[in-house]
Amino acid sequence: MTRVRRVTVTSPQTRLAHAHRRADGPWRPPRLDSAETSRALSLYGRQWRRALLSLAALTAFLVGLPVLLRFAPGLDHVRLLGIPLSWLLLGALPFPIMVVLAVWQLRHAERLEDEP
Amino acid sequence: MIAVYTVLPVVLITVLIGVRGVAAMRTTPDFLVASRRISPMLNSAAVSGEYLSAASFLGVAGMVVKDGIGALWYPVGFTAGYLAMLALVAAPMRRSGALTVPDFAEARLGSSKLRRLTAIAVLVIGVVYLVPQFRTAGLVLSAVSGTPYWVGVVIAGAAVSVTLALGGMRAATYVQAFQFLLKLVLLVVPAIWLIVTVGPGVRHEAVHPVEFSRFGHDTAVTFELDTTLRIREVTPIRGSDGVLRVYPPGDLSVATGTRLVFPGGAPVPEANGGRLPGAPGWERPLLDVNGYPLLGTVGVLLATVLGTMGLPHIIMRFHTSPDGRAARRTAAYTVCLLSVFYLVPGIYGVLGKVLVPQLYLTGATDTAVVALPSQVDTGTAGTTFTALLTAGAFAAFLATSLGLLLVVSGATAHDLMAGGLRTLRTTVLVTAAVVVLLALPAAPLDADVLVTWAFTVAAATFCPLLVLGIWWSRLTAAGAIAGVLTGLVTVSGSILLALFGPALPGWAGVLVAGPAPWAVPLAFAVMIGVSRRGRPPSWARAAMLRLHLADRHAMPAAHTAPVP
Repeated sequence: MTRVRRVTVTSPQTRLAHAHRRADGPWRPPRLDSAETSRALSLYGRQWRRALLSLAALTAFLVGLPVLLRFAPGLDHVRLLGIPLSWLLLGALPFPIMVVLAVWQLRHAERLEDEP
Repeated sequence: MIAVYTVLPVVLITVLIGVRGVAAMRTTPDFLVASRRISPMLNSAAVSGEYLSAASFLGVAGMVVKDGIGALWYPVGFTAGYLAMLALVAAPMRRSGALTVPDFAEARLGSSKLRRLTAIAVLVIGVVYLVPQFRTAGLVLSAVSGTPYWVGVVIAGAAVSVTLALGGMRAATYVQAFQFLLKLVLLVVPAIWLIVTVGPGVRHEAVHPVEFSRFGHDTAVTFELDTTLRIREVTPIRGSDGVLRVYPPGDLSVATGTRLVFPGGAPVPEANGGRLPGAPGWERPLLDVNGYPLLGTVGVLLATVLGTMGLPHIIMRFHTSPDGRAARRTAAYTVCLLSVFYLVPGIYGVLGKVLVPQLYLTGATDTAVVALPSQVDTGTAGTTFTALLTAGAFAAFLATSLGLLLVVSGATAHDLMAGGLRTLRTTVLVTAAVVVLLALPAAPLDADVLVTWAFTVAAATFCPLLVLGIWWSRLTAAGAIAGVLTGLVTVSGSILLALFGPALPGWAGVLVAGPAPWAVPLAFAVMIGVSRRGRPPSWARAAMLRLHLADRHAMPAAHTAPVP
C-alpha cells in the first residue's frame, strides 16, 4: 500500500484571507493564455445570448400574465372544475411553465459547453 | 401541550445534528471540500429546504387570507428567481471559487473596501430576514399553546444559535434536504385531509368568496397587540368580564391581552385600517396597492425575482456544488422542487379565508395554517394535524434561520473582523441575541414588509454586482461600491419611510413601500455610470472571462497564486 501524501486542505475563503496577510496589496487573478481566452470569449458570447433568450421568455410571461389578468377581468367568472380560471392561471399555470423554461435553459447551456 | 410534542422533536433533532457536527469538526478538517461533492439533486433539496422559510410555509397563506388571491404572485416570483439565477449567475459564480458575495466581490474586483461594504449589506439582508423568522416562531407558538409571544422568540433564538455555535453548518446539507421533504409532506398531507374533511359547503365558499362582514358564529378573539377597531354599525361585543355591551359606530381601542367575544351575526369591525377579507377586489389575482394593480404586481415580481439571485445564504449553498455545471443543475432542479411546494399554500389561503377570517382582526393571519385543523375537527385528527403543521412551520423556520445566522455571523466574524473559529462561534451567539432583541418589539410589524425589504436590498445590491461582475468586464471596484451603496441606502431609507413615516397616497405610496422598480435600475445605472468614468485594471477582462470557461478547461483555484 502506498502512503498517501497528506496535504493541508483549507477553504478557499481561508486561503484568500491567508494570501491577503502575506501579500499586502490587491489580490489578482491569474492571466489566461490565448487559447483559453478565445475559448472563454466564444463561450461568453454564446451563453450570454442563450441566457437573454430564456430571460426574455420569462419576462414576457411574468409581465404578460398580470396584464392579461388586469385587462380580462372576465376570467374571474370563467370556472374550471368550479375554480375561477384566473386563480388557476396565477396559482398553478406559472409553475409548469417555469419548469419547462428551466429544463430548456439547462439543456442548451450544457450543450454549449459540450461543443468543442 | 401540542407545542411540546411537535416543536421539541424538531428542535432536538436539529440540536443533535449540531452536536454530531462538533465531533465531525475535530476529525474532518476538510469538511468544506467534502461538501463540495454534494450532488445537484441533494443540493437542490437543501437549497429549497433553506429557502422555504416561515414566510413561505405560513406567510403566503396568511397574505391570501388578509390581502387576497394576488398574494400568490409571491411564490411565482420566489420560483422565477431561480430561473434567473440558472440563466445568469449559478455556474460562473461557482467557478469564481468564492464562498460568499463579499468573497466574489473581492475575487472579481480585488477591492477589500468593496468586501467590507458587501459584508455590511449581508448583515442588513440577514438581520432583516431573520427578524420575521423569529417573529413567526413566537406567533405560532403562542397560537398553538398559549405561551406569551416572547417565549417562542427566545426558544427559537436559543435553539438556532446553540446548534450553530456547536456544530457549524457541516451537517447542514443533510438537515436542510431532509427538512425540505419534511416540509413538503407536512404541508401536502394536511392540505389533502383538509380538502376532504371540510365538506362541500366550505369547498363551495372557498371558490366563491364572500365578504367577511358578519361573524358566522360566536367568535372569541384574543388580541396579542394594541389594535384599533373601526366599528361601522352598532355592534354587540362580549368583553373579558362576560358582559355583553353594544358599541356605536366609531373607533374602539383594544389593549394587548384583551379577549373579546363577537356573537354570531354581529357585524365585523375593520382592524388597523385594512379592508375585510373577501371584500370586493379580494378575489382579483393581482396585488392591488392603492389602486395600482399592475405596478404593485410587477414591483413585487422584480423584488422577489432579482432578490432571490442575491440572497447571501442561498448563494453560499450553491458553492457546495463540485463545479459550475453542478451549480447550474442545482438551480434548475430547485425550480422543479419549489414548483411542487408552491402549489399548496394557496389552498390553505382560500380555506383560511372561509374558516378563520377573524385572524384578520388581530393581524395574526400568519397563523392561519396552524389554526385550520382545529376548525375542521375538534378531536384527535384535528390535534394531530395542528401538531404536524406546527412541526413543519418550525422546520421551515429552523432551516432558514440556521443559514441566515451563519452568513450574518460569517460576514461579521470573517469579512469584517477577520477572526477565527472561536470568534465565529461567539459571533453566532451575539448575533442571535441581537436578533431576538430586535424581534421582541417586531410583533406588530408586517412580516411581508420585512421580507420585501430583505429581498429588495438583495435585488438592488447583490443582483447588479453579480450580474455585471459576471457579464461586464468594464465593471470597476469604484462603480461596484457606488452601486451597492446606492441600492442599500435608497431601499432601506424608502422602506423605513414606509414603515414609520406618513402614509403616502397613490403611486408614490406603492413605490415607497416597494422600491424595487426604481431602486434596482438606479443601482444598475450608478454601477455602470461610475464604472464608465473609471478604468478597469488590466486583468479585469481575464478575471471575468475565467468565470465563463467550462469546468474541465478551468484553471486550478485562482487563490493559490497571490501576486507578490
